[in-house]
This record gives sequence, C-alpha cells and structure tokens, in this order.
Amino acid sequence: MTSERINIVRRSDGTTVDAELLSNLDANDLLLVERQWEASRHAVHQKLLASGVAKKEWPQSLHWNWSLKSGQLKQLAIRGFGITTEGIWQAVCLTDCVSYTCKALGNLGKPLVYLDYIEVAPWNWTISKIGQTARFGACGPILFDRIVQLSREEGFKGRVGLHALPQAEQFYREKCGMTPLGKDASKQGLMYFEKP
Amino acid sequence: MSKKTMTLNLTDDEMAALEDLAKRKDLSKTGVLRQALRLYQLVDTRTRSGEKLIFEDEKQDKKSEIVVL
Repeated sequence: MTSERINIVRRSDGTTVDAELLSNLDANDLLLVERQWEASRHAVHQKLLASGVAKKEWPQSLHWNWSLKSGQLKQLAIRGFGITTEGIWQAVCLTDCVSYTCKALGNLGKPLVYLDYIEVAPWNWTISKIGQTARFGACGPILFDRIVQLSREEGFKGRVGLHALPQAEQFYREKCGMTPLGKDASKQGLMYFEKP
Repeated sequence: MSKKTMTLNLTDDEMAALEDLAKRKDLSKTGVLRQALRLYQLVDTRTRSGEKLIFEDEKQDKKSEIVVL
C-alpha cells in the first residue's frame, strides 16, 4: 500500500483536515472499513425507519458491505483506494482494469479503468430528512481524481467508465465531467457514464 | 508499486500480434502484456471456481465454450 498526504474539508466549520490517500488496498483494509462503518450504517438505517423516510429516498449504497468485496482484491485486475484521517476510513473505492472497455464511439474497444464501487463513510452522507449533514467533504472528488490518474498511469489516457446509482448521476455529470451513454439493462438499468 | 524487469523472447509472428494489439488498443506493448496477464488470471480464477467462459454470437444464435489451459 502507498499513501500520500491530502486535505479534506470538515463540513461543520469549513476547515481543512490532514488526511491520507491510500492506494493498492488489501483485503484486510476492506474488512476494517466495514468494521468501522457497520454501526454507523445501522444507525442511519434505524433513523430512516424511525423517521418514516420513503425507501426510494434512502442512500442507495445503504446495503453495501465492503467485507464481502474484499476477496476481489486477490485479482491483479482489481485495485482498491481509500481516504483515512486519524486512522478512520472516510471513503473507499474499487476499480477493475480488464472487464470493461470504452463504449463511446471515438474510443470504442479501448481499455479504461472501470470504477466498480465508490462510497464515503455513512457519517459523510448528507441526509436532510433525518437532519444529518456530512462530517467531511471532498472525499468523492479526490478519489475520482485518483482514478483518472490511475487510468493515465496504466496508459489508458484518463479514460474512466462506471454505472452510476441514480442519486450519484448529477455528481458524475457535473463534478466529474463524465458523459452519460445510456441506461444499461444488464446492470439493473443504471446509467453508464464515461470520461474520455 | 515496485516493478521488476524481464526479457521476453517472441517469434516474429508473436511480436507482430503484440504490435497490432498495442496499436489497436492504444497501449504500449508492456501495457498489452500486463492486461493479458490480468485477464488470464481473472479467467483462470473463475473457471477454477466452476464458471464457464462462453463466447456468444447473438446474430447467428451461436454459443461456444472456451476451455482455458
């Protein structure tokens, strides 16, 4: 695993906080992520239930479990990245370098980095219906930039692809400069995005 | 990640195939070989766990299983 120093933003007062951007995670890292996030994920779930928030408005990654994804890191094609501050995981993602190729006409069939899963810690979700604001910000954009950098390191010239959960589509379109290329029936109808 | 260097001996035909793939995939020759290794490992892992690798031609309604050594 390699690390570099970065800054993330504490939402409550807008100050920057020292953090680490970690590359090439192993299975134990993802097991720790789940141990650190599990209770908070459960607490959010309970608050959503108690507040009667409609299920369609729940965070769409609420049911994810990173420990179940940890075995994937045995594959050379799969890489993991994450952000920690003071030993606590704030965001994590998994990428796949071989299972997908570009669908955009100008780059059809060329390799890309596929962003398979990306999630911030449950305490970094903003859920207005239960009065929760994110503790730290900037984690998602920092991880996404790291994935674009990975694509360049691999010789893929910054090409990145992903299927977006509906709640994240705006983020990928407006903050990441990705292009929607249509809904994919083979992926539960999720919108497929590419960054050229 | 630290990297190690190796010498690779290829026939003319193998080198031609590698160069063709590198050109079509917009990759270096090292990049093609790295992708090939990742793919081979992925296919090997999944076939060893009991899954099948199948090519499908939807137009001709044909399927063929690939047996990986």
